[in-house]
Amino acid sequence: MDIFLQQLLNALSLGGTYALLALGLAVVFSIIGLINFAHGELMTVTGYAICFALIWGLPFPLAVIGGLVVAVAAAVLMERVAFRPVRGASGTTLLLTSFAVSAILRVLFQNVISARPIPVSIPTSLSGVITIGPLHLGTIQLISIIVTLVMLLGLNLFLHRTMAGRAMRAASEDFAVLRLMGMRANSIVATAFAISGLLAGVAGILWVAQRGSVDPLMGALPVLKAFIAAIIGGLGSLSGAVAGGFLLGFIEVILQAYLPESLLPYRDAFAILLVIGVLLFRPQGLLARKTIIKL
Amino acid sequence: MPRIGMQAVKGTVVLALPLIALAIVAELFLPAALARLATLYLIYVTAVIGMQIYSGNSGIISFGHAGFMALGAYGSALLTIQPAVLSTSLPDLPSWLAVIAGGQTLPVGMLGALLVVGLVAALFGLPLARLGGAAASIATLGFLVIVHVTLVASVDITRGSQTFFGVPRGVSTWEALPVALVAVAVARIYRGSKGGLSLRAAREDEIAARASGVNVVRQRFIAWVLGGLVSGAAGVLLAHFLGAFSPKDFYFNLTFLLMSMLILGGISTVSGAVGGTALIVVMVDLLRRLEGGADVFGLQLPQVFGLTDIGVGVVILAVMYRLRDGLFGLREVDERLFPEPVVKAARPDPSNASDQISLSIKGVGRRFAGLVALEDVSFAVRPGLVTGLIGPNGAGKSTLINAISGVVPPSSGHVLLNGTDTALVPVHEVPMRGLGRTFQNIRLFRNLTVLENVTVAADAVARPNEDSRAAAMAALEVVGMQELAARPASSLPYGAQRRLEIARALALRPSFLLLDEPAAGMNPAETDALIVVLRQIRADHRIGLLVVEHDLKLIMRLCDHIVVLNKGQMIAEGTPEDIRANPAVIEAYIGKRRAAA
Repeated sequence: MDIFLQQLLNALSLGGTYALLALGLAVVFSIIGLINFAHGELMTVTGYAICFALIWGLPFPLAVIGGLVVAVAAAVLMERVAFRPVRGASGTTLLLTSFAVSAILRVLFQNVISARPIPVSIPTSLSGVITIGPLHLGTIQLISIIVTLVMLLGLNLFLHRTMAGRAMRAASEDFAVLRLMGMRANSIVATAFAISGLLAGVAGILWVAQRGSVDPLMGALPVLKAFIAAIIGGLGSLSGAVAGGFLLGFIEVILQAYLPESLLPYRDAFAILLVIGVLLFRPQGLLARKTIIKL
Repeated sequence: MPRIGMQAVKGTVVLALPLIALAIVAELFLPAALARLATLYLIYVTAVIGMQIYSGNSGIISFGHAGFMALGAYGSALLTIQPAVLSTSLPDLPSWLAVIAGGQTLPVGMLGALLVVGLVAALFGLPLARLGGAAASIATLGFLVIVHVTLVASVDITRGSQTFFGVPRGVSTWEALPVALVAVAVARIYRGSKGGLSLRAAREDEIAARASGVNVVRQRFIAWVLGGLVSGAAGVLLAHFLGAFSPKDFYFNLTFLLMSMLILGGISTVSGAVGGTALIVVMVDLLRRLEGGADVFGLQLPQVFGLTDIGVGVVILAVMYRLRDGLFGLREVDERLFPEPVVKAARPDPSNASDQISLSIKGVGRRFAGLVALEDVSFAVRPGLVTGLIGPNGAGKSTLINAISGVVPPSSGHVLLNGTDTALVPVHEVPMRGLGRTFQNIRLFRNLTVLENVTVAADAVARPNEDSRAAAMAALEVVGMQELAARPASSLPYGAQRRLEIARALALRPSFLLLDEPAAGMNPAETDALIVVLRQIRADHRIGLLVVEHDLKLIMRLCDHIVVLNKGQMIAEGTPEDIRANPAVIEAYIGKRRAAA
């Protein structure tokens, strides 16, 4: 039972990070139909921002804030520079554009910063272990769970209680009509990217805090997982993205815990296969958005 | 047996000639380094064509084909590896594999590898084929990761992330050329075949494709496996070209490179794959020379890692921003150079109509959560007559149409089409059982020609040895559009688009035709022309027409029998005269007080 509880917490922490990333992808996808491959690079940018802020001697909290500001700015800038020229194009065009942007950014990181991982000096107070009864919980893990929950709650409040949030939800239902209501498309899309950037930033900080270093490919793997999480939840559905993220986290942690030693290296392959197997039965994803097709 | 048209033969020849010429020039006249580049080009062409077969026809971008190359490469390498190397580099090979591994010839390696590729493609294709659009793309990305992780993890068989070496290098231009030529032929024939055409139709409009009898899931599956085999063959060639490789050689960098080749030429054509690959291979070779920091006109350039990646990325962006259909556009080179001759119309033998031609709606009801959209509607559409379905907004007309065509099954009651309950067969089978339909918002296969639009439907019901293109032409004749056969559907004026939809539905040789607001948005002249066409269809084909329309004048002029819905219930049924005089109908349309006055 204790082991199970311990694994549950591990899954919450890992799944939470996937959920934040998948949510960031879904916010953008639901509004402009873009699957943003460069989402991972937003994570990486955040990592570098924190890294350099700490090297310049900023205190950790300021560095975190700086990292988030950079993430949001980078996301908005990315939309303005790279994605606005193809707005309204087919999903394929958008997908390929972001694929290219992502690859170019990685090469830039390699050349301008470094191809090697740079260590990030995370305060030692964060690397402790809290023991509650039989459970051992890393401080960072605990923080990561709390931060994830706070972010999800905050986003939920924003989407339901504020004017801008309601506009975002409306845009994800029907962007064309929302524009007819006099909302400005540019500001809605920019807000979507800002939120997406913020979520990627938070996920990036949690990731860096757990691994202690940044490299140009840092964001690639987690975002790959987030893609999978987003389709399993139902592309474009915000709650689906969160559910998919946690589900994938759970699957990975359970496989990690219970796969025989000889099969452990195959963990990711099994996880993705399981998830795609779900699609056999629910091709639209678990919490698919109800799209009403007018025939 | 796939349809091998003259056009596919012409197309194969047009693309094969430059490849053959290149091979000859490379082997006989070029220095070794350039000859190697030519070989590499032929290998990449094969791989990109594999992607094109799936992505080009289905419209789903694939990230997975580098994974097929990896499977092909490792599969063949294991079979052909030098036995001396095998025993030292892979001492822990499982015994079942050790029996067949090592020492085989390249053709055996190719065959074995393709067997593995085909099997894996089929297994993964089962869930994948059910997905469309972005979700399918991400699933192919998942496939790439699965293959990569598995190769890295299977240390006993693949040496994990370490280099796999000792593979006999036996691939030069001469070996790569025939494989590339086969790839071109397969892709070009598939594109024009019944399966390829119907998949391209589904790419343009999945719903309309299903309504034209296309089994979209099956066609996606076939294209995925076929494309996988072709890319797998390219992987085999690459393995024997390089002699040593590791899993990372078949991961994102390769995917990115293949993608740029496909995109630059244009994803929809085989010509694009052949042309785009050539340009990218040359560009990458030039950039690679600069990468190490070259000396250009006395200027010492700095060393830049990944210059090729930036180049490839910029090409993709440029294409996306400026030239979305790629350099070769939507039509093959041969289709531009040698347009196909006009197809002669030949009306197919009338369907040996079953004795029971009937479309009856029996007690159909539909609830959405608490809302009753339709309640206990019963009537029959009679062959050779025009039945009109009218009703104010929200009367339940669309719900009824969806129930009849099997898209949204009724929650109570049945729709019996020639004896079949339409709720019990897949949506794409309903048209084959005798129901053609058109859509309220026009749904054409926009980037296909007028003839191709109709051929998709004719193919779905064609009997063996029947020329479905001639049948399609005959359907076009009915609506008076045979002169427009070669035009892209998207270039037609509005009225013609509506008539094309009718021709497409007619090509299904239906016993019943469901027309959803056929006159919406038409001007009076177009409406008159439509009425002529519909009357002729009724007279010539003995088809039962069910027309849903807001235009009451049209309904009154055209229909023999009218059904009126209001608030989900059938409130009247009868001849136009009956309906005109029916107080319940007048009340539903005009309101109670006015009606009384």
